[in-house]
Parts: sequence; structure tokens; C-alpha cells
Amino acid sequence: MVSTTQSVAAATALAAIPENQFRLFWTAYEKSYDDISVQATQELLALPEFAAFANMLTEEESAVRREETRLMLRQAVDTGSWEAYAEDLIAQGEVYGEMGLSFASWFKAVSPIRVVILPHLVTAYRDSTDDLFGAVLGMDAFFDVVMATIGTAYLLKKEATIKVQQDAIRELSTPVLPLREGMLILPVVGVVDSHRAHQLTQGLLEAIRRDRATVAVVDITGVPSVDSKVANHFIQTVEAAKLMGTTVILTGLSPAIAKAVVTLGVDLTKLNTVGDLRGGVEEAERLLGYRVSQIEV
Amino acid sequence: MASTLAVPILRQADILIVTLQGDLGDAEWAKLTDDLLDRVAERRTRFAVLDLSVVDVLDSFACRTIVGLTNMVALRGPTMIVAGIRPSVAFAMVQLGATLPGVATALDLDHALSVMTHG
Repeated sequence: MVSTTQSVAAATALAAIPENQFRLFWTAYEKSYDDISVQATQELLALPEFAAFANMLTEEESAVRREETRLMLRQAVDTGSWEAYAEDLIAQGEVYGEMGLSFASWFKAVSPIRVVILPHLVTAYRDSTDDLFGAVLGMDAFFDVVMATIGTAYLLKKEATIKVQQDAIRELSTPVLPLREGMLILPVVGVVDSHRAHQLTQGLLEAIRRDRATVAVVDITGVPSVDSKVANHFIQTVEAAKLMGTTVILTGLSPAIAKAVVTLGVDLTKLNTVGDLRGGVEEAERLLGYRVSQIEV
Repeated sequence: MASTLAVPILRQADILIVTLQGDLGDAEWAKLTDDLLDRVAERRTRFAVLDLSVVDVLDSFACRTIVGLTNMVALRGPTMIVAGIRPSVAFAMVQLGATLPGVATALDLDHALSVMTHG
């Protein structure tokens, strides 16, 4: 949950904000902390993508959370140690990432606060433009680090989630099913990338050896599209099977794939195709010397 | 660790069976080619089966040699069948683009014999 290098980097950046600017900002911010937090939260929940979260925390729970954060900030300011606060920011970012929020949404989620704070700074330093300027710089410096920290954590979490999903898709192994003596069926479903094509080929060759098959029907009805790399993988699969004495019949090519195969200039003499699985199985039976006839019932 | 013995060629009626015991070096391939081309003529030979079930590696030189051998043998009459290519070898071959164009293949010796007797 806690990424040490990240929190250290964030803590360092926060501690590096010019002392006097931060002081000016923090003094005004802390004075009206509760009001500012409540208002910023209201602005957030007014956004359509966050309306669902309006009832997540009760009034009491919200107040408790606000106080926790304020104390964390107070401690960081007093001790000069920003680790704990940085870790909290990272945790926030990870939550946004897990929620699957779009980048625009999380950006909108963390932006309202500056607009809410600004009037308070103006009120506090109305007598000195120098101080107001310093306070605004301090605010910007502070929230720049805050947003960068939350944003990085959000992005890393999002990428991690995508990777988990990709791995899950890869895990969908293609079963190799013996249908008749000497005949195998491979129903391929989903996106086929190089890694899956590799798995498919190995699975098929192993099954050919194990089941002593001489015909394999590979059905790609469930494959949405194919690029030249994957097309070549399929051809390699067909050729490797041929080296083992097995004929591969490819079935279920969609119109899109049929177009792609021809456009890509794939060597069609290397492919034995039949329109659908039924036709493919019938062709395979023919090659194996089966003749299927219907008995009068 | 190349064998110094000639590759055994066995005859079964009008079929010659060549079982490779391991990987062959250049000289051994040359000797095998000569031996096989001689043997196909001693009696009517319809088929020659090259059994590769014990072979771990087939590099592109070996593949070219096999294709050449198939064509040479065909010129003297018999059809050559390559049998027993292992899954890992088949996979490696297609990745290298070293296939056996125009060469008949069979899963193993058993299948090859059944193809030859039944057509």
C-alpha cells in the first residue's frame, strides 16, 4: 500500500517549499480549515461523476476525517516531517485509480480547493500585497506537489489494474478438444496477441503428439480481429502442425479478418479454410475417411 | 557428440526406413544421401521414411538437406516421408522459417506406414 520511494520524494518536495511563503499560506488556511474543507467537498459532490459518493460518509464521519487530515498537516508543519501526509496523499490517489476514474475526473476532484481558499487569503492579507503574493505562491507550490503526488499514485494504480486485467485475459487458455479419433478442435475466443498465439501453438502441437491427431480444426469465430503479426503466427501454427503430419483447417473467419488476410498479402496457399465450424468438421471427417449418414428412425 | 557409425537403413518390402539416432553433422548427411540413393535402386522401392523422432534439433542446414534429399530420392522413384518431428522441433523450425516445402510428413513411423499401405 505504501510506496516508500514515492512518499519520500513527495515529502521532500513538500519540505522544500519556501518557508515564508508556506507560512503565509498555512496560517490563513488553518484558520478557516473546516469551512474550506466543507466547501471544497460540496463543490466536488456537485460534479455528476461524484454525486454517487455524496452519501458515502455521514456528517460525523466527514467531520472526523477532516479533523484527522488537519492534525496530520499540523504535525507535518510543526515537525517538518511530511512522510505521513505524503502517504495519505498516495493512498488517496490509489483509491481514485482503483475507482477507475478518468484523468479528467480526478483532476476535477482535486482542483476545487484552490479556488475555495483564494478568497480567504485575500481577506487575511488585504493590507499587504506582498504577503498576499507570498501566500498565493505558497498555496500553489503546496497544491502542485499534492496534485503531482496524488496523480502519480493514481496513474500507477490504474496501470497496475490494467495489467491485472490483461493477465486475466491471457490466462483464458484455449482448450484443445479431441472430437473423433485423430481429430482435434480448437475453439479460439478473444483477442489473440503474440503471447497467446505462442501458447495456442504449443498447446496444439502437444495435443497432436498426445492424441495422435492427423487433423485439427481451429475455429476463430470468436476472434474479433487479426493483425499481420498474429496472422503470421497462425500460419506458423499451421506449418508446425504440418511438419508433424497434421492438417489444420481454419474455420470461422469473419468478413473483417477475411479482408485483412487478403489485404496483408498473406500466402493463402498455406491456409486451408472452411467457412464455419460445421463445414470444417465435415471436411476433417472426409480427410479421415469417415462417412456420416443418417439412419432412418 | 556425432555418431561415427553410418545411419541404419532398414528395408520392409518396398519401403525403406531410415531412423536417425541423433543430430547429424555435414559429413554424415552426405554419407546418408549417398547410401539412400544407392539403396532405393537395389529393389523396387515405393517409399522412404525418414524417422526423426529421436532428433532434438533441426537447423536450417539439416532442413535444406532433407528437402534436397526428398527431391533426389523422388528422381529415382520413391516418395519420401518425414516422420516423427517433435513439437518443440516443429515450433523452432517454423520460427526460423526453415520448413520442408513439398515434403510429405507424418506424426510417427506408425502413421507413416499406415499412410503408405492405405494411401
